Amino acid sequence: MAEFSLDVLLKGNSGKNTRGLLRIIILLTIAAAAVASRLFSVIRFESIIHEFDPWFNFRATKYLVQNGFYSFWDWFDDRTWHPLGRVTGGTLYPGLMVTSGVIYHILRFLTIPVDIRNVCVLLAPGFSGLTALAMYLLTREMSHSPSAGLLAAAFMGITPGYISRSVAGSYDNEAIAIFLLVFTFFLWIKAVKNGSIMWGALTALFYGYMVSAWGGYVFITNLIPLHVFVLLCMGRYSSRLYISYTTWYALGTLGSMQIPFVGFLPIRNSDHMSALGVFGLLQLVAFAEFVRAFLHGKQFQKLLTSMVLLTFGLGFTGLIILSVSGVIAPWSGRFYSLWDTGYAKIHIPIIASVSEHQPTAWPAFFFDLNFLIWLFPAGVFICFQNLKDEHVFVIIYAVLASYFAGVMVRLMLTLTPIVCVAAALAASTILDSFLVMSKPTPETQAKANADKSKAFSSTRNPVVGIYSYFSKAVVTGSLIIYLLMFVAHCTWVTSNAYSSPSVVLASRLPDGSQHIIDDYREAYYWLRQNTEDNAKIMSWWDYGYQIGGMADRPTLVDNNTWNNTHIATVGKAMSSREEVSYPILRQHDVDYVLVVFGGLLGYSGDDLNKFLWMVRIAEGIWPDEVKERDFFTARGEYRVDDGATPTMKNSLMYKMSYYNYNSLFPAGQAVDRVRGVRLPAESPTLNTLEEAFTSENWIIRIFKVKDLDNFGRDHSNAVAFDKGLKRKRATKKKGPRVLRTE
Amino acid sequence: MRFITATVLGLVTSSLAAATNLTTPSRLALPADFKPPQVFKNTNLVRNTNLEKGYVRETINVVVENVDKQPQSDYYIPFPDEVFERVGGFEVRDKKAADKGRFVVDTTEAVSVGGQQYFIAHFPEPLAPKSQITLGISYAVLNSLSPRPAFIQQNDKQYLTYTFSAYTPSAYQTITQKTKVKFPSTNVPEYTTTSDLKSGADPERKGATYTYGPYDTAKVSPGTEYPITVRYEFTNPVVTVNLLERDLEVSHWGGNLATEDRYWLRNNGSELSSQFSRVDWTFSSYQRAPTSAVREITYPLKPGSVDPYFIDDIGNVSTSRYRPGNGKSNGLLELKPRYPIFGGWNYSFKVGWNNDLSAFLRQAAGQDSWVLKVPFIQGPKSDEGVQYERVVVRVILPEGAHNVRFQTVEGIASNGLPGANQIHARLSSLKTYMDTLGRTTLTLEVDSITDEARDAQLIVTYDHSFMDALRKPLTFFGGLLSVFVAVWFIGNIDVSIKKR
Repeated sequence: MAEFSLDVLLKGNSGKNTRGLLRIIILLTIAAAAVASRLFSVIRFESIIHEFDPWFNFRATKYLVQNGFYSFWDWFDDRTWHPLGRVTGGTLYPGLMVTSGVIYHILRFLTIPVDIRNVCVLLAPGFSGLTALAMYLLTREMSHSPSAGLLAAAFMGITPGYISRSVAGSYDNEAIAIFLLVFTFFLWIKAVKNGSIMWGALTALFYGYMVSAWGGYVFITNLIPLHVFVLLCMGRYSSRLYISYTTWYALGTLGSMQIPFVGFLPIRNSDHMSALGVFGLLQLVAFAEFVRAFLHGKQFQKLLTSMVLLTFGLGFTGLIILSVSGVIAPWSGRFYSLWDTGYAKIHIPIIASVSEHQPTAWPAFFFDLNFLIWLFPAGVFICFQNLKDEHVFVIIYAVLASYFAGVMVRLMLTLTPIVCVAAALAASTILDSFLVMSKPTPETQAKANADKSKAFSSTRNPVVGIYSYFSKAVVTGSLIIYLLMFVAHCTWVTSNAYSSPSVVLASRLPDGSQHIIDDYREAYYWLRQNTEDNAKIMSWWDYGYQIGGMADRPTLVDNNTWNNTHIATVGKAMSSREEVSYPILRQHDVDYVLVVFGGLLGYSGDDLNKFLWMVRIAEGIWPDEVKERDFFTARGEYRVDDGATPTMKNSLMYKMSYYNYNSLFPAGQAVDRVRGVRLPAESPTLNTLEEAFTSENWIIRIFKVKDLDNFGRDHSNAVAFDKGLKRKRATKKKGPRVLRTE
Repeated sequence: MRFITATVLGLVTSSLAAATNLTTPSRLALPADFKPPQVFKNTNLVRNTNLEKGYVRETINVVVENVDKQPQSDYYIPFPDEVFERVGGFEVRDKKAADKGRFVVDTTEAVSVGGQQYFIAHFPEPLAPKSQITLGISYAVLNSLSPRPAFIQQNDKQYLTYTFSAYTPSAYQTITQKTKVKFPSTNVPEYTTTSDLKSGADPERKGATYTYGPYDTAKVSPGTEYPITVRYEFTNPVVTVNLLERDLEVSHWGGNLATEDRYWLRNNGSELSSQFSRVDWTFSSYQRAPTSAVREITYPLKPGSVDPYFIDDIGNVSTSRYRPGNGKSNGLLELKPRYPIFGGWNYSFKVGWNNDLSAFLRQAAGQDSWVLKVPFIQGPKSDEGVQYERVVVRVILPEGAHNVRFQTVEGIASNGLPGANQIHARLSSLKTYMDTLGRTTLTLEVDSITDEARDAQLIVTYDHSFMDALRKPLTFFGGLLSVFVAVWFIGNIDVSIKKR
């Protein structure tokens, strides 16, 4: 009876419906799991924007929501890069902010009183749910097996390689860009398969969206032409290809040029030239195909050779002339560093100083992708077996992305989708082969035997399959164990590695309860509440966005590292003597200097550990004044204790970090817990700065830049004079005169 | 459709009827050369000035006699122009019949620049000629204490000065008067000693209480001043709330009263002469040394308060602790600001929590009428007191509530609030969570009150019928239905360009 009712559900038309419904439910569950697994940080901490760049995006979104789209478009931000300012509206990818702005306004239209912060925090998890769905669609195009799509969606939903950039609060461009990347590729495959203008136009539309959202759109810009190029080389030209590519290129390029930050790059920048070149090539090939229909073979051959030579020669000389004359911009530095991993360290230390631009370590692949990484080659191999146009795409994508992921840690993100596709193909093939319950019936076996007797061995069609229950159980069982381990691994990685806001640090008290170390926000909020609205804060550029977002004060440099000289200026001020630094500070109207010091708590990401990068970047601009060598001892050690070099001890960064630190300890006992050394007995003296605020655990120290001396002395004289008389410095600068009433 | 029209009408009528209860305080304009008519005489006046908190609290007990031939009922109380705006919680009662409640008090516009402004107390029944009445006048003056020295070191003691006149300002002739000043401690390094006002030592000191007077001032014309300055130790923060916004949201369906208080806080004590030193602060915190900085804010909550939160502009402040009350005792929210708030420093934050509505809301028997009784403000409780420059209380009633009225509970003692006619009240509508009409919102604004108003209770009555309560589910139903219909309709449109 039960079998009968199941048959009704599983077979025929209603069976199709049942499976469709089941698929929708599974997909929705996957999307829900993808969202849920990204909420660790919200549950453990709070709904807060993470890290550095998201703080800028959040600030820009708030600006967009408050001032409307057009003033956002024309936004000149005079609160960053003081005194230069930044044409923010023209130098960002607005897709992320506009997306959350639209969501915010829709919710507000429905009178749901949602805070823009919560929209921003939950945007990345929400879009990762969509990514899982897009992944299902993309993989379904690659395989006939319905399980491949569902597996790919599940992999994509929880793989740490993607979660690393899309946990709640990680409000960065990648949050929506990966969805757009996958969805654009899906549309592209659809377009190539159908040769449809509509799908091509949709591809262009989502490509435009992608351009507005992330600088990584260049990946699409190069991957699609490469796909077409490879197909052409394989002799797979078809009108489908022509239609889809030309539609995408024409509309997509126009669309991408609407973004001010991109502007004319698609026709001037070398990074985009391959798309243009393939576009031209495709026209030639189409023309050749057209001509071939009218000409004899020999004539056509001649025509083709001359045409190819001519085009190549013309194109090449044209490219050289345009490059030399500067019409086409040369390759960007980040692009070079993709090919030569040592390039950045020598030429652009500012790129090399970012940890996510470092080459990937091998364990990271396993850490981020777990068992997918060894299913991945198998999946690619399966693509070779059944080589259609879309499988060529998977292969190209796999090769390119694997290389890039090896060069830069952050590009692991672009590798993840294709690993999920390939791994899902492999896993579904295994499951499809081993989960089939049926045995061959005697008739088919007999038929096969009959074939054997009368045909050549090459045309024989033997019945191949796995019929042993034992092997089925072993293989599916082990695969299921791997899948379960994958889930456990993903949860563990997400929970432990990718869910820390880094603005808030968590530690454990002896009794096991969680203790929150909130020094960053303590200091930023102090700045926000108790300094003048336009007090300029100088800090290393890492903290620029956070100061702009949380302290709401103008900064000199921030994480948008567009002006290397300005950053080098800050580096010079930090790494020079006070006498050199003070004029720099005065020239840049600096009111407060902020340093991060982890010595008390053992917080290793502090400014003294980043100090060498400051020195290097400053040395790049002023090689005569700042020398990295001077910060190392004769034996080549980087020391901060008694053995530190005089240059080190006199540098502003060193002085600010350790100023007054030893008074926390008994005399001579001051210890730096990060570098694990005992510090000199006396505190460094600061003449031109005074301590303004230090957070509870000393992580953030803020110093106020002194005004010029009232008597025109320099500060060291003034301080010495005050000390010589053993008199406390009268505060003359602040506030009204006080009547003495004693 | 009927219920919609009914509620619309209800809302309209309520706003029309608002004139009866919801008021906009107006001030009487006086002619430029106005002098209060000299119809009274203060036979005896005793002023108690309390300086124990971060604001000045004054109580004046005065025996008033009608010296006119007509019965009189308007008693003028003058304040200098610049002080007038900072006088809060002003109240006048008949000292002999305190339980009869406060008198109606009006305020006036400034007579001229730098001139006097008046509170006019209206006696419930005119005072007959030659007869006497004992008035109890109480009020607080905000922001009248100035730290001196204005800049101190982080671990120094803080001193405040207060300047007042030995003669209590009055519009009328006063026969005898005296002033008692209560200090927070006996450490009063400086105070004015008068020489020619009375025989014997002036002031008389007794512990932390200094008494100026009694003076015989029958011949002193009203308005004469004799400035007296005192300077005393007050090593406590002078906590000033520039603005408090308080939202009370009533949800009938959820059975919940959600409260959110938003503070813009400032310490008006002595500023730091040199910059903040974390080392000194760490050591003095270990010793729990007295300080002029706000170290912690304790915030009592009603019994049964749950889900408290403490956030500011950049997120959750993790340094807070909630001790829920058990049974009938108050819960205690212990808030530690992100940094100690020294003199001149600001800190703004939000706290919020939920309560079971049944403890605050009662339905009038057999009617659609509801009575809500909530604290007007709650706020931190501390020895040094808190002064509020401006308080905006919003009571967000359920959608469709109409016929809204409010009153404050009056007791025998002052409730810290000004009279009902001094409270700015208005009705508006707030659209949130898929409201169609918007929730009726009663906004009450009061200037210059102190933490004495912590015990004040606010009573709001309103009408809200069952059909009003059904509005939200029906809206949902209608909305979803229209979405489905629209989807079905769009799905049935054939837009293909193939030949049929």
